[in-house]
Amino acid sequence: MDATKEVLVTGELQLNELDQARLDGRLGKAMQFAMQTIVTAAHIDQADALIDISFAHIDACFYNGRAHLDFVNYMLDHGASLAVPSWTNNGLVSLNDLSVRDPLASREMHEARELMQAYVKLGCNPVWTCAPYQLPGRPGLGDHIVGSESNAVSFYNSVIGARSNMYGDYLDVCAAITGRVPFSKLHRDEARAAQILFDVGSIPQAVRNNDLFYHLLGYIVGRKCGNRVPAIVGLPESCDEDDLKAISAAASSAGSVPLFHAVGITPEAATLEIAFQGRQPTQVMELNVDDLRQARDELGKNSDQPLAGVALGTPHFSYTEFERLVNLLDGRSIDPRLTFYLSTSRHVFEQAKQQGWIESLQQAGVKIITDTCTYFSPAVNGLHGKIMTNSAKWAYYAPGMLPVDVLIASLSECIESAVSGEVMLDQWDAT
Amino acid sequence: MSKQSVDIEGRVLIAGSADGPALVLDETLSFWGGFDPSNGEIIDVHHPQYRQLVGGKILCIPQSKGSAGTPGGIAETLRNGSGPIAFVLGEPDVNISVGTLVANRLYDMNIPVLEISRERMKQIKTGEAVFIDRNGRLSVNR
Repeated sequence: MDATKEVLVTGELQLNELDQARLDGRLGKAMQFAMQTIVTAAHIDQADALIDISFAHIDACFYNGRAHLDFVNYMLDHGASLAVPSWTNNGLVSLNDLSVRDPLASREMHEARELMQAYVKLGCNPVWTCAPYQLPGRPGLGDHIVGSESNAVSFYNSVIGARSNMYGDYLDVCAAITGRVPFSKLHRDEARAAQILFDVGSIPQAVRNNDLFYHLLGYIVGRKCGNRVPAIVGLPESCDEDDLKAISAAASSAGSVPLFHAVGITPEAATLEIAFQGRQPTQVMELNVDDLRQARDELGKNSDQPLAGVALGTPHFSYTEFERLVNLLDGRSIDPRLTFYLSTSRHVFEQAKQQGWIESLQQAGVKIITDTCTYFSPAVNGLHGKIMTNSAKWAYYAPGMLPVDVLIASLSECIESAVSGEVMLDQWDAT
Repeated sequence: MSKQSVDIEGRVLIAGSADGPALVLDETLSFWGGFDPSNGEIIDVHHPQYRQLVGGKILCIPQSKGSAGTPGGIAETLRNGSGPIAFVLGEPDVNISVGTLVANRLYDMNIPVLEISRERMKQIKTGEAVFIDRNGRLSVNR
């Protein structure tokens, strides 16, 4: 007798022969439980069909209590294997550098490490990054995939045009094991139409060219759009994937924005009409410099405390961001009184290493960590007091989880401040 | 006030029965960051039910919010024995349901999840005795 069968509701869902075999347990107990979970999700979404996926980004490897470990061990013990290429999100600890969060320090950190190792055993590609889209071999336009970490879901949908709903922990793994998801929401054309328009065209060009602009814009979009799909018009031609990453991360921290369109830039928004699938926006919001100033204030004030450190790389630093950092730092060193953290993926770390950047940055006093991030608890060494970051996501989350006081700034402001040891701000919003 | 009972027909997301006091949340909640699964406490300082404990309650919640972490928070609180005995939702919620399904499987529990609507949830008040049956009927006895 299978206990889960007793509680399962299948609704209107049509299952093919193979799905039925998975559900009946003919392909093993792990597959059966994975399929029961997919079927439950389909019932809740009122989906009438399942579809194949080609890729999954797994978040369940990020430790969130003993239940996470029990779940993956159940799957492993009952013969689970993966149906599609599955890449890992950040872990809570770094497998490369035990000093970031010491696995010997507590049962939780030890289990966090064990959890990451279990997902390697399950067959995941251990990339350990929240920015998997920076790595070669990423999905393409129109591909149905599973994304889980909120910034990655947003980037995949918006910037690449792959199709994913926000898949929470366990459902991501069950989808990777079955290779199937409910044909619902953002997998369907109609749910991808823009509904609300943000116009940034009247903000001065110089302000729009500053990297901080994209973080603040993402934050505003996240706060204002509710559950509507936003489109942004008026972004400068210089807008690149680092800028679009900033919008993805900020919008899905401040709100729930699994998809946005940038008109003339992102693949499903060649024109306003295409982005809105021929319909009219339900609301048009014109943003100005005051909106940006207000967003910056909401994300943290320049308090009287002395500057204690800088945190970069949320989401993980890209190759091009490394290049900008090295150029801006220009051979200078970080003030030794400060802590300067930078988070990145193993892959980008290796790319930067080949350029000699890792060695020179480390000599300058930059602590580079891989596999994990700095914005959540427990705090990595030295992160307390007033911290500057160029990331709206870091600024949004860290004060709730760490003993820090945050100031959001552009990359260049962060670096000038780190070199001089005190906060140095530009007149970025001068008009 | 005269004794009266309320009967609500809900949509069963995970079948089961439960009988206990209601805890009604006025706002959505993230079970990663806004909730402590070790003792079942709401720790989001902005939440109207901040510091309330969900253990042993029929938890009535409009919906969960936030990141991919909610199913883990649900499974972990149920594993710890600090979790609710049933969930009543104002909106369909995959994350709460998946967390519950996983706990049911791993820890041999039977925690039901029932979707009513935000409107009908207004008929339930914190502390009232609620009964849920396997077919999705919810009754409030007062």
